[in-house]
Amino acid sequence: MLEVGNLHKVYDGHGRRVTAVGDLTFTVPEGQFACVVGPSGCGKTTLLRVIAGLLPATAGEVRVRGSRVTAPPAGLAVVFQEYGRSLFPWLRVRDNVELPLKAARMPRARRAALAAEALAAVGLSDVDSAYPWQLSGGMQQRVAIARAIAYQPRVLLMDEPFAAVDAQTRADLEDLIRSVWERLGVTLLFVTHDIDEAVYLGQRVIVLSAAPTTVADDLAIDLPAARDQLTTRADPRFTELRGRIYARIQKAKVPQAEGTPA
Amino acid sequence: MVAVAARAPRVTGRPVALGVLGLAVFALALEVGPRAGLVPIRYAPPTSQILVTLGEQVGRSAFWVALLDTLRTWAEGLLIAVVAGIVVGVLLGSVPFLRAATATTVEFLRPIPSVALIPLVIVLYGPTIRSTLVLVVYAAFWQVLIQVMHGVADVDPVARDTARSYGLGAWARIRYVVWPTALPYVVTGVRLATSVALILTITGQLVIGSPGLGKEIDNAQQSDAVRVVYALILVTGLLGVLANLATRFVERRVLAWHPAIRREEVTPA
Amino acid sequence: MTLVRRGVLLLALPVLLFAAWWVASAGSTDFYWPSLSSILAAFGRTWTWDRVQADVLPSLGRLLAGYLLAVVVGVALGAVIGSVRWVRALVEPLLEFLRAIPPPVLVPIVILLSGIGDRTKILVIVSGCVWPVLLNTVEGVRGRDEVLSDTCRTYGITGPLRLRHLVLRAASPQIVTGARQALPIAIILMVISEMMAANEGLGFTVVQFQRGFQIPEMWSGVLLLGLVGILLSLLFRAAERGLLGWYHGQRAGRREW
Repeated sequence: MLEVGNLHKVYDGHGRRVTAVGDLTFTVPEGQFACVVGPSGCGKTTLLRVIAGLLPATAGEVRVRGSRVTAPPAGLAVVFQEYGRSLFPWLRVRDNVELPLKAARMPRARRAALAAEALAAVGLSDVDSAYPWQLSGGMQQRVAIARAIAYQPRVLLMDEPFAAVDAQTRADLEDLIRSVWERLGVTLLFVTHDIDEAVYLGQRVIVLSAAPTTVADDLAIDLPAARDQLTTRADPRFTELRGRIYARIQKAKVPQAEGTPA
Repeated sequence: MVAVAARAPRVTGRPVALGVLGLAVFALALEVGPRAGLVPIRYAPPTSQILVTLGEQVGRSAFWVALLDTLRTWAEGLLIAVVAGIVVGVLLGSVPFLRAATATTVEFLRPIPSVALIPLVIVLYGPTIRSTLVLVVYAAFWQVLIQVMHGVADVDPVARDTARSYGLGAWARIRYVVWPTALPYVVTGVRLATSVALILTITGQLVIGSPGLGKEIDNAQQSDAVRVVYALILVTGLLGVLANLATRFVERRVLAWHPAIRREEVTPA
Repeated sequence: MTLVRRGVLLLALPVLLFAAWWVASAGSTDFYWPSLSSILAAFGRTWTWDRVQADVLPSLGRLLAGYLLAVVVGVALGAVIGSVRWVRALVEPLLEFLRAIPPPVLVPIVILLSGIGDRTKILVIVSGCVWPVLLNTVEGVRGRDEVLSDTCRTYGITGPLRLRHLVLRAASPQIVTGARQALPIAIILMVISEMMAANEGLGFTVVQFQRGFQIPEMWSGVLLLGLVGILLSLLFRAAERGLLGWYHGQRAGRREW
């Protein structure tokens, strides 16, 4: 489980101080699928990077499964938006998936088995000997997801992973990640700018305000657990939740004019 | 030859101080090392002595004549190579038939080391500037040619078709479509050619005996004037540095007009 | 295009040029421009297996030794310098100066310090070849992709695995550039070090012919030097294709967009 306590992040540079994250506090219980949305520039990516241990916080703390995060914690995997740049182009797909396991000194047979399983889970078993650049964008992102799965993390962070793929591929990937989450039972924090996607995927949506960022709203998504692109999105409750979040974000955009430094 | 269009970041402050420090430490090591007996002082004079000798050299008219000969050979050779390289490169690159027909010949001739020509030019032209000029032109030409051909080949087919459909003649197309695309490659080619041309200029003077700094170095070495050798090497190094700075400066000016994509791209050769 | 047509197109010009040379020089009585036929005859006469063994192979051996040593040293140093920002800042202007010195000019110095012998010749080659490799490695290591770097940190890819993949393989296109720039320098240095101070070797032999005015033999030596250059270039290309197959594939893929 994930605890964020009074997180505060300031960027110092070029004679400016930018408060990316003002004061964020929330907890994600074990196994929850939580989505984070907010207006552009509200520090969503900064938040994710701090939680992932890639960036130090200025103040406040993040705890993953009880321990403080000071560096990338074990048992935590990240899927980045730029899938093309996160895969190693000189390694074949299966070697890409196996690399973190190799770093963890897992024996070869076990590595291969986990990788094969993960690739099967994302539907890429038949391209395991291809190179990433031979695959389409959606498939590359699947490889990145497979790599995360094979790593067997307890916490999975995803930073706008489907922003750079086309709409149809995105729909497939959304369903994929939902099924992966159900199978693995990971704690999933999913950052997105797409409100519809957040409502469709999450059990809970955290809405962030504009910079300096705080939690503007925190909704439980009480849609049925079995989500489907056609029926769920047509559900009146979906529209209601979506509308509420949309209105909240519009409201959150207003303080931006006063809040951001010149 | 894969070449990177020179990245030219504005460096100020701490990195510059560190860089100067690095040079200073090096000069100091070369001062102390020989004196402390770490290297034989006879064959590796301390920095201070080298600098003094350099001062002496600068006072000699023979030095300036040699320097001028070197610059002349370098510049002439480079100019001929660049002009020829651009003309031939644009011609071969733009006409697909010519490009295909000359491909193997170019690939065959290009790796022939220019030093292979040394015995030839010695017997044909003797220890003259012309001998070295032949070497310089030969080596530098290929650098320019390859880059220009790549530049011309890199022209966006969509842009070219658009130009054609608007009825732009061959010359206009070259001017407005081919040349701007090829320009970064040309600049890279000139940069590589400049450095190669200097190397071959000095080589020719050293080995063939054409007049210039290389010949002075050879003379000094024959007469065991070790400090003069080092002083002259310092001068050639400075020439090289100046040439690099000049080409980078030109590159920055020219490529300032170009989208930043070219700057980071590792261009093929 | 059919295979035949393709073959014709590829070979037409070289064959034409060769034939033109043959015809233009046939029956030549010019001392300095012997006929192509006499050059080829001299080639066969001169470069017997004995002589190849005695002169050519040692030269090539030294060339390879010097070149490979320069690559290893250049990559190792370059990886270290490129990874630590303050080291790079400290050392970069110095390296730029050292690299700007035309390599042949160092031959007299190396000879002074190390005498005449195999070691000197190899040192000469290293002294000239290490710079392009070193500087290009520094560039390559420095320009590593941030996302890839984050990925390694997240998944705990550290140590030798990280060195191999994130540092070296990511920089390999740039490193290969440096190695490619270093190859002609290696050839130049091999030849002139033998022309200036040697008692055996390919360069030495050709210069001997020139000094003795054995012109057809000299021409044959020039031809051989050319062939060596071509052969090494082909070998390099093959090695590059193996190492950078992924890179070319990736770029080709991007181009299609």
